[in-house]
Amino acid sequence: MARRVSILQVLRLTLQIAVAAAALTAGVRLARGWSLAGVEKYCPFGGLETAWSFVTRRSFSCAAGELNLALFLALLGLTLIARKAFCSWVCPVGSVNEWIIRLVRRTGARLPLEPPRRVDRALRWLRLPVLAVILFFTWQTGELVFRGYDPYYILTSAHGHEVKLWSYAILVAVLALNVVVPMAWCRYLCPLGITLWPFSVLGRLRLRRTESRCTACAACSRACPHGIDVASGTEVRSGECTLCLECTEACPAAGALELRLEGTKP
Amino acid sequence: MRVSPWIVPVVVILAAVLGIGGARLFGAPSFTRDYAAAGGARVETVRFVVRGLKCVDTAKQVAGQFADEPGVLRYVAYASRNEARVTYDAAVTDPQALRAAIEGPVVDEASGQIRFHQFEVRSMDGAEIR
Repeated sequence: MARRVSILQVLRLTLQIAVAAAALTAGVRLARGWSLAGVEKYCPFGGLETAWSFVTRRSFSCAAGELNLALFLALLGLTLIARKAFCSWVCPVGSVNEWIIRLVRRTGARLPLEPPRRVDRALRWLRLPVLAVILFFTWQTGELVFRGYDPYYILTSAHGHEVKLWSYAILVAVLALNVVVPMAWCRYLCPLGITLWPFSVLGRLRLRRTESRCTACAACSRACPHGIDVASGTEVRSGECTLCLECTEACPAAGALELRLEGTKP
Repeated sequence: MRVSPWIVPVVVILAAVLGIGGARLFGAPSFTRDYAAAGGARVETVRFVVRGLKCVDTAKQVAGQFADEPGVLRYVAYASRNEARVTYDAAVTDPQALRAAIEGPVVDEASGQIRFHQFEVRSMDGAEIR
């Protein structure tokens, strides 16, 4: 069982690296003038940003297009099945955040710290005003006006259009936050994360804990990069679950933590 | 129902394939302009990929490049693909003349300034231009 999950984690890492490399390649190709397709074209959040423009004017925001919209709709479909799997299997920003946390933990430091649950829950709502501000200005101007603040764009665009010196300061700050709180950007600031959250709550794939097999060691809760207290219930209902499966990997009791498809017969 | 964890990457990859494939469903033109009726003309269409054509505003600027170009009948821009499709009267003009019009100096309507090299044709009917 443990071996199977380990291979799965290798696959997850491979997918993360492949997507990050593909995005970076697209950014370099555009920057060098070898291609006209920038990294924004592959961002599903661009689909949400351009949705208003498409619905009202049948056109797209500048630098966004039909691929963004289709990827966004596919992402909603994915989230209704596999929760926020996009965040831990695909998103380059989530991947880099995760790699930084692993590096920090390897140093032996007792970092990053898991904030108190109440504080953590309250801070997660910060994403809502972030989303509202971005959508308001994007829909008003018809431009992806926040590119210079977007960690994904700064990270992969190879010093793309609208990336300034302060953009790198933002990127460094976002990545450095992981040293304090794991996945801080994803938890507290990511506008796509809050957009997916209500769909993720309805997601059909869920982790279920069998109490009779559980040793109550709480290794699953400690392993969760998003601070979900997996050990406290019989089912992970949180809309923040990204199905990274780190918890099942950490679980020492065979069969105590399993993936289930809800809405079907047992 | 208990399921294998392998279902997660399978669903992720499936969603990516559906997203990329589904993009065709939303292929709406960014901008369209008709210049003249096509009656009796030798009508042909050429497809350009243009660096600089990336939104509705730049699509309109490209449309302005054809304003004084004889033989241009219709222009349709797909900004998300950097694509301009020009329908023209082949008895009056040809793709090279249209390319020259696109790459010509652009007059900025707001400031009145003339900008050079704003647009560059990268390919013509699928054939790359170096």
